[in-house]
Amino acid sequence: MIEATHLTKRYGSKTAVDDVTFTVQPGLVTGFLGPNGAGKSTTMRMIVGLDRPTQGRVRVNGRSYAEHRAPLGEVGTLLDAKAVHTGRSAYNHLHAMAATHGIGTKRVKEVIEMTGLESVARKRVGGFSLGMGQRLGIAAALLGDPQTLILDEPVNGLDPEGVLWVRKLVRHLASQGRTVFLSSHLMSEMALTADHIIVVGRGKVIADAPVADIIARGKGGSVRVRTPQAGQLEDLLRRASAIVTQADHDLLEVTGAPSAQIGELAAGAGIVLHELVPTKVSLEEAYMQLTVGEVEYQSENPLGHVAQDTASLTGVGQTEGALR
Amino acid sequence: MTTATLTAPTRSVKPVTFPRIVTSEWIKLRTVRATVWTLSVTVAVMVGLAALGAWSSTSFFADEPNAFAPASFPIGGWYFAQLVVVVLGVLSVTGEYSTGMIRSTFAAVPTRVPALLAKALTVFGVVLATATVAVGLSWLATLPFLGQMGVSIDLASAETWRLLLGAPLYLATITVLAFAAGALIRHSAGALALILGLLLVIENVFAAIAWRPLQVIAPFLPARAGSTLLVEDNFLGGASVVDGIVTLGPWQGYGVLTAWVVVLLGAACVLVRRRDA
Repeated sequence: MIEATHLTKRYGSKTAVDDVTFTVQPGLVTGFLGPNGAGKSTTMRMIVGLDRPTQGRVRVNGRSYAEHRAPLGEVGTLLDAKAVHTGRSAYNHLHAMAATHGIGTKRVKEVIEMTGLESVARKRVGGFSLGMGQRLGIAAALLGDPQTLILDEPVNGLDPEGVLWVRKLVRHLASQGRTVFLSSHLMSEMALTADHIIVVGRGKVIADAPVADIIARGKGGSVRVRTPQAGQLEDLLRRASAIVTQADHDLLEVTGAPSAQIGELAAGAGIVLHELVPTKVSLEEAYMQLTVGEVEYQSENPLGHVAQDTASLTGVGQTEGALR
Repeated sequence: MTTATLTAPTRSVKPVTFPRIVTSEWIKLRTVRATVWTLSVTVAVMVGLAALGAWSSTSFFADEPNAFAPASFPIGGWYFAQLVVVVLGVLSVTGEYSTGMIRSTFAAVPTRVPALLAKALTVFGVVLATATVAVGLSWLATLPFLGQMGVSIDLASAETWRLLLGAPLYLATITVLAFAAGALIRHSAGALALILGLLLVIENVFAAIAWRPLQVIAPFLPARAGSTLLVEDNFLGGASVVDGIVTLGPWQGYGVLTAWVVVLLGAACVLVRRRDA
């Protein structure tokens, strides 16, 4: 359980995290989502006491992180894959971390095995790929068998197999009743992994809700209707206060009316339909709608781009890894 | 790659204690290459320069075998050895900042100050032990030359023990001074420049320039004060104040160096809690 109350972090005149309040519940995978620079990493660093909040406080498992007598046994953290001395081997890194909590070498070997690092455990971390670095970070987070896990961009740099592995691992950890809090800027990954999502933009919480609610909150999906009587149906739908755009002589894009209602209206007026296709709002689209205006470095027309790609978005989760 | 092991984990997490942190720091210190090579170089420098000094004395001072205290030969390499150990002192902490390791360290020990002190203690102990071994080896290396000069180290003399054990103590303490500078500056290049600049330039300039304000301050600079511990009785002026310029006794001088270390390490402890990692 992570409880942040009025958490604020300012660097000079720049406010990285702005009066953020949220709770991360045990037994769920909670996604922490936001564009780059939204304050995700700063928030996570404040949770484990690496950055001091300018205002507010954050408690993990009922106490502030530094008050725990065995912090690694309470909270496992992957803050970034580079929190390791490059000259030391993976095994020695984990061994040194473990020693602070009297954790034996047996557990060190266990987490090495769990993260698939056996073959490189004795090699210097400096030669590790980004993916191996992530696995080492996850191994370190698991050392103390903690109730709460905080993972900052855990799938960053992982191959498809690694992405799948992280997804299964965090689901498994949450199913054991642990609190899992992971950040990402990849919506598609979150859609597949998280139960609950906290969306941040420019240091503020924009949304804090179950995944399904976030999707539902997106401005309703549109319905594609193909009919030889397009003009007639358009009038009918307008009267039902739906928004209609004519994409072709026989093709309408309808928002604000579900496909069932459109079908019934058409049947009532004896209009022939050749096609009636509801287009689902993806989490990605919902997220873009939430964060538009909140991103620090905005490309020209993110929404337009997303709308065009709606159909292909469902496959993003799979292709994401494959493209790497 | 299996998650099955998670269901039956080895639950053996114990509270963080100072001895556990020291154990962790010891593991960290011995598992990086910088430690291995700086300590090897320290021993090589100590033994090599001691043998060289003793050997050259057999010819240059053949007529006056008692020009130097015999115990000063095995510690003859201390000046150059300090330039090596301070590098270890600085890197043992700045290496964690430059690699990001410090975040893992502070995640494990969120109160931070114990981690910093454990690190300082570990580096102190390691240099003390290594330099003690180096002095022992230097003694063996100088034995043949001392024999040639017809002198031997008098184990009954307090001066002998002050010199032989003072050298490791001085080296270990100056290492912690460098460590504290590293912890304050958090940057390898900056901290190394400061500490080597102090040892090689600042202290020598203060000692060399006959300008009164510099002469008043010079005896209190860390290396000059601390190394009084390594000056043989013949060359010690004895603790005194002449015309406002202080001459420190060996243990007074070492006390001044210790004070520098305490102040800098104290400042590092205060700042390490305030700064973001």
